[in-house]
Parts: sequence; structure tokens; C-alpha cells
Amino acid sequence: MKPFRRRGDVVVGGLVDAEVRVLGLLVDQLEQLLSLDGDDAGGDPVLDRLLPPGHASDTEIARDYRDLTEASLREGKADDLAVVRASTPEGGGEVRLDEDQARAWLRTTNDLRLALGTRLGITADTEPPTDPEGEEAQQHAVYGWLTAVQGSLVDALVAGGRRR
Amino acid sequence: MTPEVTPDTTTGEEFELDRPWVTVVWDDPVNLMTYVTFVLQELFGYDEPTATTLMLQVHHEGRAIVSSGPRERMEHDTSRLHAYGLWASYQRDA
Repeated sequence: MKPFRRRGDVVVGGLVDAEVRVLGLLVDQLEQLLSLDGDDAGGDPVLDRLLPPGHASDTEIARDYRDLTEASLREGKADDLAVVRASTPEGGGEVRLDEDQARAWLRTTNDLRLALGTRLGITADTEPPTDPEGEEAQQHAVYGWLTAVQGSLVDALVAGGRRR
Repeated sequence: MTPEVTPDTTTGEEFELDRPWVTVVWDDPVNLMTYVTFVLQELFGYDEPTATTLMLQVHHEGRAIVSSGPRERMEHDTSRLHAYGLWASYQRDA
């Protein structure tokens, strides 16, 4: 991964072929998950984290909130996934993003980290797994990679100052 | 003649109506500190020091109030935060 850097009005980074493939898989999985409605997902903790209740304790307010916002939140996330797909270079290469595309990448990489972090049970004190070859270690490696991508994207956007 | 309203039965409710609603961001082990600061600036127009202070409050105290006002606006603010993956909810101000 070539970290994102600001170049004038755009941010530019790079992904190699293997990273593009991993990202493609993750985007497909997230899209599939977001296409399930709450009942089909059977209380999937990842979906609960991506579409959290609007009120911490009042179930009626939380239901009102869901009725009002869930469809457009799902739509926004699906739009972001489409932007990420369209701006990912097939086979690897330069990733060049305008301000709107960069925000879609930010939200999507954050959703992917939330999904993976929820599955892995990441807490503030999580240590890397002891067996570096195991399946869980690979998932942690992907999580760390997504963190690096998103972190460099935030830094690149902040480096340009407020542009809107 | 208009019957007099006894203060005992209405005071509590009036008080309820006067209390504003707030949007709360909760601590989350996944969201990056730089990202949370960025989102608070982006969505609410806070300057960098204010956004950083709120982010640190979330991080150290577990939650911070990031906006207050009518219920409908807090619903909207909460959904904008959810679009960015922050863990947020709205409630009457305590």
C-alpha cells in the first residue's frame, strides 16, 4: 500500500493487486450483509453495529428512528461501496480520489473495520494473536491494513485544510 | 369560567417539554481518534481544537454531547453520524 497523500484537489495513494483482491472481497461481503433486512440477518452483531439504535434505552424512539433513517443509511452505504469499486484500479495501481470519492472511501473503510472489529471482538486492549499463521491472525492483519489505509486517507484530507 | 390548572399535574410535563434533546457520541474501540475528530469537524463545523476536545472526552469519559436542539434535528444529526460509522444516539438532556 502506498499511503494516501494530498496533491492539490485530489488525494492519491496506491494498492497492489493482492490488496485490490482483498478489498474487492470485503466490499462484496459488506454489500451482501447490507442487502439482508434485520430479520434475515437474525440479529447479526455486525449489522447492529453498522445500523445502531438511535436511542440507547427507549425501544419506541429507537423504532421510530429506524423507520425514519434505515433505508437512506443503507442506500448511502451501498452508494459508497459502488464509488469504492469504481475507483479501485483493477490489477493494482494508483488510486486517485476527489473530495467526494475520498469521503466514500473513508466511510467504507470505516464500515469494513467495524465489521471486522466486531467479528474479531476488538477492544481497546486487544493484542495481536499469538499464532501468526492462524486464520485469526490473518483477519487481524487485514484489520491492521484497513486501519493503515483509512488512517492515511484521514491524514491526507486533513493536510489539505478545510476545503468546504 | 376557565378551570384553574393545578400546578401539581402539569409542572413535570412542562419541564419535560422544555428540556432540549442532545446527540451523544459513545466510545468505540474501532474508530480512529483522527477519524472521529475529522467527522465532528466535517458534520458540525467545529474548529479543530473543539473537535479534538470532544473526541478526547468520548475517549476518556466514554461519551460526549456533540449537538443539542429539537428532537428532529437530533435524529438527523444521529443519522449523519451513523452514516460515518460513529456510535451515536439521541436523548432528552439529562
